Amino acid sequence: MSWLGRAGARLMPAGRRDWAEAVWAEAREVPPGWPRLAWRAGGAWLMAREAQMVHRTGTLLLFTAAAGAAAWSAWPASAVSHAATARADIIATVLLLAALPLLARWFLGPPDNRAARWLRAGGYAAILAIMPAKAAILLFNGTVPRGGPGLHTFHVLGGHGVPGSVSVDPSVAGDIAILVLTACGLAVILALTARRTRVAPATLAIGAGTGLALGAAMYAVDPLGVNRYVTAPWLRGTWTDQIPAGPAQYLVALAWILLFGAPLAAGAIAAWRCHVPDDPGEASAARAWQGFAAGLVSGGVGALFVTVLGTGTTALLVRSAWLRGWLYHGQHLTATVVYGREVFATGNLVGYFVLLVAFPFIGLMMGLTGAGIATTIRPLPDGGNPGGPGGPPAPEPVPDPPEDGRLPDPGADQTGLPGRYDDGQGDQGTPRLVGAVLERVP
Amino acid sequence: MKSRREFSPQTLSVLAALFQEPSRWQHGYALASQTGLRSGTLYPILIRLADRGLVEVCWQEEPQPGRPRRHLYRLTAGGLASAAGALAARAGRQPTGRPAAGVGPRARGSGQPVGRAAAAPAVR
Repeated sequence: MSWLGRAGARLMPAGRRDWAEAVWAEAREVPPGWPRLAWRAGGAWLMAREAQMVHRTGTLLLFTAAAGAAAWSAWPASAVSHAATARADIIATVLLLAALPLLARWFLGPPDNRAARWLRAGGYAAILAIMPAKAAILLFNGTVPRGGPGLHTFHVLGGHGVPGSVSVDPSVAGDIAILVLTACGLAVILALTARRTRVAPATLAIGAGTGLALGAAMYAVDPLGVNRYVTAPWLRGTWTDQIPAGPAQYLVALAWILLFGAPLAAGAIAAWRCHVPDDPGEASAARAWQGFAAGLVSGGVGALFVTVLGTGTTALLVRSAWLRGWLYHGQHLTATVVYGREVFATGNLVGYFVLLVAFPFIGLMMGLTGAGIATTIRPLPDGGNPGGPGGPPAPEPVPDPPEDGRLPDPGADQTGLPGRYDDGQGDQGTPRLVGAVLERVP
Repeated sequence: MKSRREFSPQTLSVLAALFQEPSRWQHGYALASQTGLRSGTLYPILIRLADRGLVEVCWQEEPQPGRPRRHLYRLTAGGLASAAGALAARAGRQPTGRPAAGVGPRARGSGQPVGRAAAAPAVR
């Protein structure tokens, strides 16, 4: 039985393993039979509880169900020409989603706060939602209409093929590029939400919030693909025109402002809130890091949000007469025009992938700029005043912790982190750097 | 609504058991015998108390031959003050004025001395 205890102890966080060994060692003192078995059962429960087995199992089941549903929705029929590459793409994406968190956990540690877990869950949900939407759009784009005005328009647009057939060109290079993009995006999400990268929960929350605002504004302008035209059917007259006067102008202006302003504001706020250590060099690095992370999260979340909404709307547009009726409410469109708009919208898919690269890049640059602005307004510490002029007062010196034989704290590896963030949330048991030592905030 | 700092009855029983002989290191089975708690309840309580700095823990320095080392527990100075306050508050709430369960002296289930560990425990 002792090997079972040792194996179970390995599942627990490093600071808790002593406790598992303690329960197992103590079992030798319990009378044999049922009492000892009950004692060990309690030890197994302790290990499961401390290793968060229920939470982990639930997460695994949820991921399996969501990934299965997404893969099933996106899985192409054997008859289509791009079946092999599309299937390989789906399998590779799901494997990436499953394997990268394990690598991230190994190298960078697990997420250690609620904001990080929510951000990861959101990123996973977005990638899984884009998968079937992309498949539906590609399928529509490559399908030759069976007849009627659609086939006529198809021929007018230069398409050729047997009516009813699917002629998506299997683009291995394109699929690999999208896969690499997905892997990079996922790696960034996992890294920013891992414990050892020391991105504060508030930084993640600020970045995500501004990113959602950016994504919503972009979607309002371009719900049916990123194009040089505004593609919002609710902005009357915008389908084929350059930006018309009126609300569309304001909306486009807002989207442009948010594209640069949201990550700028996120970076500035995150850097401003960052409580910095005495060393000006470390303080500067800590603030820049928080600003960088906030801007990157802002741009990334904005891009993911608009991509999910946009690809989802486009995918539904070609499948749902109800959505078509809602989008073009009040407009009397012929079947030819509707088909033309669907082709137009599905042809814009690649724009989202450009956007998924561009937004995070803009975000990180603007986040760094915002951090610089915040540092200019709220100078770095000098001398013995960690808060700098106008900053918070210096903490009282705290004596060294006694060598009293206490067990190592599970969060003890976070001591001494430069610029450890005080987000003011004060969750019970959340380790925070206060002054020079790590203490538990009740 | 219960305050977050208020101890549960189970936690109070553990504090009471440790409070009886605060300078003495005690092991898990003895605490379980005194409090009647199962291991799956007792150890999470001890973990939380240790996390809050109310209980200090160490490993037995010289285990019995053929036996694994045991984990030992006792109250810290802060734990002693907290336990005294919490137990006094609980005793004050007892309607009959009798000492609260677990506060007074009680026969130990396996209260053998823990050897040198009681005097100078080694910290692993």
